[in-house]
Amino acid sequence: MKLTEQQIRRYSRNIILEEVGGEGQQKLLESKVLIIGAGGLGAPAGLYLAAAGVGTIGVIDADKVDLTNLQRQVIHHTDDVGTKKVVSARNKMLAINPDITVKTYQHRAMAANIREIIREYDFVIDATDNFPAKFLINDACYFEKKPFSHAGILRFDGQLITVLPGETTCYRCIFGAPPPAGDVPSCSQAGVLGVLAGVIGSLQATEAIKYILGIGDLLTNQLLTYNALTMDFRKVSLERNPRCPICGENPEITELKDEEQAACDPDN
Amino acid sequence: MQKEKMMDVKKEPILQLPESVKQDILGYREAVAKFLRGETKPISFKAYRVPMGIYEQRAEGRYMVRIRIGAGLVLPAQLTKIAELSRQYGNGIVHVTTRQDIQIHEVDIEHTPDVLEGLLEVGLAARGGGGNTVRNVTACPRAGVCPNEQFDVAPYAIAAAEYLLQFKSSYNLPRKYKIVFSGCSNDCAFASVADVGFFAHVKDGQRGFAVYAGGGLGANPAVAVKIEEFVPESKVLEVAEAVRRVFDKNGDRSNKHKARLRYVLGRVGEDEFVRLYKVKREQIAEQGLEGDIPIVRQLDGRFEVSEPSADSDLTLPQGQNIKAEKTAGLCSLTLRLHLGDISADDLMQVGRIADELGAGLVRTTQLQNLLITSVKAENVEQAVSQLKAIGIDVVGDTAPQVVACTGAATCKLGLCLSRGLAAAIKEEFAKTGLAPRNHEIAMRISGCPNSCGHHCIAPIGFQGRAKRIQGKLMPFYDVLVGGKTIEGLAELGRTIATVPAKSIPTLVAEAFSAGAVEGEEFEELAHKYEHTAETEYPHEYFHDFGSSEPFSLAGRGPGECGAGMMDVMKVDIDEAETAIKAAADQQGREKDETLYKAAVAAARTLLVIFGIEPTKDREIFAAFKQHLIDPGWVAPETQEILDRAVDWRMGDRNSIGDSESQIAGLAVRIKELFLSLDAALKFQVEPVVKPKDSEKSQTEIRPVDLRGVACPLNFVKAKLELEKIDVGDVLELVLDSGDPVRNVPESFVRQGQNVLEIKESGDHFTVKVRREK
Repeated sequence: MKLTEQQIRRYSRNIILEEVGGEGQQKLLESKVLIIGAGGLGAPAGLYLAAAGVGTIGVIDADKVDLTNLQRQVIHHTDDVGTKKVVSARNKMLAINPDITVKTYQHRAMAANIREIIREYDFVIDATDNFPAKFLINDACYFEKKPFSHAGILRFDGQLITVLPGETTCYRCIFGAPPPAGDVPSCSQAGVLGVLAGVIGSLQATEAIKYILGIGDLLTNQLLTYNALTMDFRKVSLERNPRCPICGENPEITELKDEEQAACDPDN
Repeated sequence: MQKEKMMDVKKEPILQLPESVKQDILGYREAVAKFLRGETKPISFKAYRVPMGIYEQRAEGRYMVRIRIGAGLVLPAQLTKIAELSRQYGNGIVHVTTRQDIQIHEVDIEHTPDVLEGLLEVGLAARGGGGNTVRNVTACPRAGVCPNEQFDVAPYAIAAAEYLLQFKSSYNLPRKYKIVFSGCSNDCAFASVADVGFFAHVKDGQRGFAVYAGGGLGANPAVAVKIEEFVPESKVLEVAEAVRRVFDKNGDRSNKHKARLRYVLGRVGEDEFVRLYKVKREQIAEQGLEGDIPIVRQLDGRFEVSEPSADSDLTLPQGQNIKAEKTAGLCSLTLRLHLGDISADDLMQVGRIADELGAGLVRTTQLQNLLITSVKAENVEQAVSQLKAIGIDVVGDTAPQVVACTGAATCKLGLCLSRGLAAAIKEEFAKTGLAPRNHEIAMRISGCPNSCGHHCIAPIGFQGRAKRIQGKLMPFYDVLVGGKTIEGLAELGRTIATVPAKSIPTLVAEAFSAGAVEGEEFEELAHKYEHTAETEYPHEYFHDFGSSEPFSLAGRGPGECGAGMMDVMKVDIDEAETAIKAAADQQGREKDETLYKAAVAAARTLLVIFGIEPTKDREIFAAFKQHLIDPGWVAPETQEILDRAVDWRMGDRNSIGDSESQIAGLAVRIKELFLSLDAALKFQVEPVVKPKDSEKSQTEIRPVDLRGVACPLNFVKAKLELEKIDVGDVLELVLDSGDPVRNVPESFVRQGQNVLEIKESGDHFTVKVRREK
């Protein structure tokens, strides 16, 4: 496929970059990225990936837009309150860039359906807000051998890691299993700085783009932590855990199952 | 209730678009989408787009939408829509053309469907605004209100447009086709120089028209010839259709430069032309017209105002821009626009004022102005003050009207910056504080011989040209007088003098202040400013108006005829020939000098075709080698002659007297090439040497021409081209001087590519880049 005149202009600042060029832009246009969760993290990730010309973007979310979301979920506008999040997000992405295709999945990511969905994507962004989903995504990506970006945010803190399943440290290598319900407060209980979601979600989009283009160094085997109050970005080096229940030497998890725990915002 | 009904009638478009036009417009969006998706080739999209009335502007990716305003009649609601569309999708400036169209500029291609659909909502269309189509059918700007007219011709112009627009064939003629209606012999609408011109006449109480055909301006202007003494009003459509058929059948589709109806007339002669027409006319009389026959809808009643107050003793305010109408107590206000431009906001206001204080109708004029008609005498003051509030000075603006084509600033064919001259003339009038007595005299300026500024039908006209003075090019204008368009007496202006561009404003101011704008007096004055061998010119005479660069023809392309460039080439070849003749009687050093001059002039002659204009002898010879010797247009031995000439100039050779016959031969060959140039500026004779195929494939690095593409898009495109070639191969680029040639090679170097060569040629550069990774 040849870039059209409009595309050349739209993506000119990408193409100028030595590491991207017309060939890189072509890769982006041909790539497919799945965003699980159209909330605080999914919002900037979706907008930037759309703008960059990622050709196919999938969005999974079961919820509708609520007024309390708007403080951080910048892909949704006041007019969208009551609308399905996937629809609201799709409309914004297409408004930024009608060049792309957006696929929507208006349901929760569950053990029963997730593998089938992620199978057709090149890269997955975990933009969910609860532990069961994060472990489910980790496991599903392991089974499907899909690279993904994990992130989490709470109050003023964010964390981020990129996982190439089977090759680099996975989420379970670090955390094993979800914490007992009630151990970690949720966003609705503890609060979260809205712009924090913007910073961390944008970093996730950056990783997706780097992976597609095959440029730079991915954030693998390193957990990035960020504190908005101190402006500390720290990278903690990690290694694969031989006792990891999924990617270790003697894996206990051989099939997907839905963990039980309330979502971050149960009223939602 | 009654009032509401009246309002509805007022909102109904004056020209009712045929259903097929509406369908065409609704299909446009999909065509654009296909083009943007890359499914339509640019060239075929262009062929589709131009007849839709969408032109590409010089700025990349920006488009102009030319809206047909039938008979120049436009409703306030339509103006409001045009203004809104211009603000939303264009640059917020609306332009009135000399053919009564209104243009919206600087629209992105993806928004052009929005503009067309928006226009359709108010019954307007750009269909047929460009290309080889039936163009806007125009009429006297004051049709229906002018005291001089025989009767209102606007309804006939509208009906003719409605009739012709319904046929597909009206958008695929040999060339454009312009129809004009004038209400009386004064011909304010310029029917005398139209493809078909109708002049209103009343004979034995019956309305009808004298018809003229085969006129036109452009590179070879011609006055139309009479084809009908008098046809009754009911036969207008038959006549228009008959002439269209003559054109359709006989127009030369193979050469667009010789395709207009006037070339058919020129080719077959007047008698045969009229005969061809009569045949078609009879054919139609027998078979009847095809398609839907529109009703001629008289417009009186639609735009009437209540009776002006009978008791008022108001003397109608008179002035250059305020004119009495045929109904006592009503007048027309001319809103003078600078070169046809008005802001969208002001345009809306004009519509409102026409609605409130006029008859709810605005007109576009051939002098690129707007007109509000049927303003009651007692409302004039109010209208004038409201117009003044938006910067339109109806009473005070009495400077002579100046009309100019768009000129070299945006037109590839233009020689001179005609709009710059128009502004300079206006400034000169303002500076001298002159209240000109002969303000009715309009001046018309064309930047080149293509007469888009209609210079040849003006009482005073200027036509741009170039002359070589003291070895450098200088912008000049031919001064024409006596152009007029009166029925049966129309004449094209004749050239009385050729004056440096920079002297024109002074000449004009002097003429107007002395009242010497016509006849011998003006002619005498114009001669005073002509170039003579003794004239010393200040530096700025070599710069055109508003240009910081010395005047140059570099970068100009072939046009309707490339006439301006032909002029310049003629100067050079004449110089070469004169020198060769002179050398025959000379001896020694003097002879060498003259021969050398001849060689330089001969070598320089044709370079302008290639968009370059070197000034140094060395550069001239180098460019000559590249463009004329290497491709085989002149014999390879010529190189030796030129080398000898250079050696002589450098003092390495005693004489070039022995090359006399070869230099003469070179001049002969150059003249032969020059005379063979066709309208597209291509040689029509065979090359002396056919370039060898093997050589061709070796040297065939097709340069990627990125002139006119701004930073950083030029680099983006260059980079995409580089990606197409293999590592180790070389890409050749053509770049503009200035930022492009500064930035693009540097960007490549920064990204690890190898810039092998940056070479200046004329006003641009060629750059070679080797792909390293």
